[in-house]
Amino acid sequence: MRGVSVSTELRAEVDLPTDGFVAVVKQDCPTCRLVEPVLAALPQVTVFSQDDPAFPEGVADRRDDTDLDASLALDIETVPTLVRFAGGVEQGRVVGWSREQWAELTGVAEIGADLPEYRPGCGSRTQDPDVAEEILVRTRGGSLRSRRLEIAALEDEVEALYDRGFSDGLPVVPPTPARVLRMLDGTSRRPDEVVAVVPPNLVEATVEKVAVNAVLAGCRPEYLPVVLAAVEAACTDEFNAHGLLATTWGAGPAVVVNGPVRAEIGMNWAGNALGQGNRANSTIGRALQLVIRNVGGGRPQEVDRAAMGHPGKVGFCFAEDEEGSPFEPLAQSRGVAPGRSAVTVFAAEGPRGIVDQISRRPESLARSLALGLRGVCHPKLVRGFDATLVVCPEHARVFAEAGWDRARLEAALDEALLLDRAEITRGAGGIDEGVPAGDSDRPLAKFRPGGLMIVHAGGGAGMFSAVIGGWAGGPGGSAPVTREVDPWR
Amino acid sequence: MHDFAALEGRGVIAAFLASTQFVVAADAQARALGYREVPSVFVPHPIQDRTDEEMRALADAALEEVLAAVTRR
Amino acid sequence: MAMTRTGSTGSLVILDPTDETTADSRTALERPASLDGLRVGLLDISKARGDVFLGRLAELLAERGVTVRRYAKPTFTKPMPADLRRQITTECDVVIEALAD
Repeated sequence: MRGVSVSTELRAEVDLPTDGFVAVVKQDCPTCRLVEPVLAALPQVTVFSQDDPAFPEGVADRRDDTDLDASLALDIETVPTLVRFAGGVEQGRVVGWSREQWAELTGVAEIGADLPEYRPGCGSRTQDPDVAEEILVRTRGGSLRSRRLEIAALEDEVEALYDRGFSDGLPVVPPTPARVLRMLDGTSRRPDEVVAVVPPNLVEATVEKVAVNAVLAGCRPEYLPVVLAAVEAACTDEFNAHGLLATTWGAGPAVVVNGPVRAEIGMNWAGNALGQGNRANSTIGRALQLVIRNVGGGRPQEVDRAAMGHPGKVGFCFAEDEEGSPFEPLAQSRGVAPGRSAVTVFAAEGPRGIVDQISRRPESLARSLALGLRGVCHPKLVRGFDATLVVCPEHARVFAEAGWDRARLEAALDEALLLDRAEITRGAGGIDEGVPAGDSDRPLAKFRPGGLMIVHAGGGAGMFSAVIGGWAGGPGGSAPVTREVDPWR
Repeated sequence: MHDFAALEGRGVIAAFLASTQFVVAADAQARALGYREVPSVFVPHPIQDRTDEEMRALADAALEEVLAAVTRR
Repeated sequence: MAMTRTGSTGSLVILDPTDETTADSRTALERPASLDGLRVGLLDISKARGDVFLGRLAELLAERGVTVRRYAKPTFTKPMPADLRRQITTECDVVIEALAD
């Protein structure tokens, strides 16, 4: 967290003497009360009181600083603080009571002769938690460019956010300036930096707009770099979020996270990996969807033409289990250096489980999983849609024991997914749907090259992997896109 | 005005009729509920001591404004 | 930390999460081009004389081919009860509420 920063404009707004001493005190502080007679005896001193405007007694130029403007302008962290100015420039300051230091700064050798040698000061009121929020907005709110909206006194704030159309159907967190500022502490990027141009309306999303939607979604500030990377990835040509939104097919964007950030923000890749219950998993995917909805203007039954959709369109995000995986992490297989964090955004339907509690040979298990993948789009259609296979730990164990890596499994799946034309031609099996009759008898590959992505996640018990169907792959459709998280920190 | 917000919030198009005595209060209440403007029709005050004939005349006079408040014209 | 309402007159200030092309306050629903085919309700808030006014309004609308359903709040001093609200929202597309004075 950044501390409260004090802008130079603020300093100019507060009327400070150009020459002499300025002290900031509060009556509530015993050290301030201790130095009360010392301040009264100092010539040319202006004293700002943070609490009781009638304190300290005997000072001619005593000013009310209960609004803390002067304290903030002077960057006061401890009271009492004594500052010396000459020609409008600060010459030095003393914090707390130290006879030696006060004597040196003031040039009054006998200062506070009857006082103890040293007493530490107390915390400035600017550090109080109960004013922290207000001070945050006062000092840094000016950096926010989003339009301010007022929720009227008689409106319920949660209802009001529904009424204004900002919600995906679940309650959202009101994005107050203080919450957005705290969210922005999650990144070193400037609020006005453009993250991406968001479809369908092709609106530039700034870091600030993404942060506002991350607040709505319920994210913590440390999730923000992951959300920013996901927005960047989803708004690329290759991912084609516009097409994915506008198609009548029901898939939506899903995010899989790799690298150290997974553990840093407490993501789940174990039991119920694709399910509910983990704040980071649930809110990061939701924030991406809220950016598309609110910034891009992509709303269901408007540009989002999905005939069915699925519940994961509220937000679909999980982490890969890298530690327990026999495979190289997904991000590394897609070109990210080891030790770096990344997101991979891909088109996703809802997941469907594949049971295999018998196969102990990798060849058998691969063919078994391939059979589950064959149902994507339609069991008799090929090369239309991409898919993602989430291999569970108990299935991964079979591959690990046999020494299979990602490439070996991919090759085995590809082989098992070469489909016999006789089974899939239109009319075969008494089903009119299917591939058109061709002039060749060669088998057809279910997926385009690169159209099947493998991820490892899930609980330690249960021989149930999951198939996540996608959407049309490649040019004209959507391809998975990987982006690093670290540049957004 | 609370009824207006409750109905519109549930997708029912609503309009609000009141006497001119109510203009300021209705505006304040609308603002408190977050609306800058609420489709309203104001008929001349007073109401309570009117004869039936006068009331019907008020309705005759208000009709066009009422239609304007609930349609796009 | 508790949320503090910091705007004028107790309002809460939030930041707009959208592209800011729409109105910045709550707006009434978009109006239809005409009342043709719509279910119209007249809601009597139960102040004296309002029934006569609404009776005449119902006649005038009927003359224009718009039939209306009539509803009445038990009292004008409170928002309508939930069961009446539920009834109106299932039975009406448009509601005219009268007559406050």
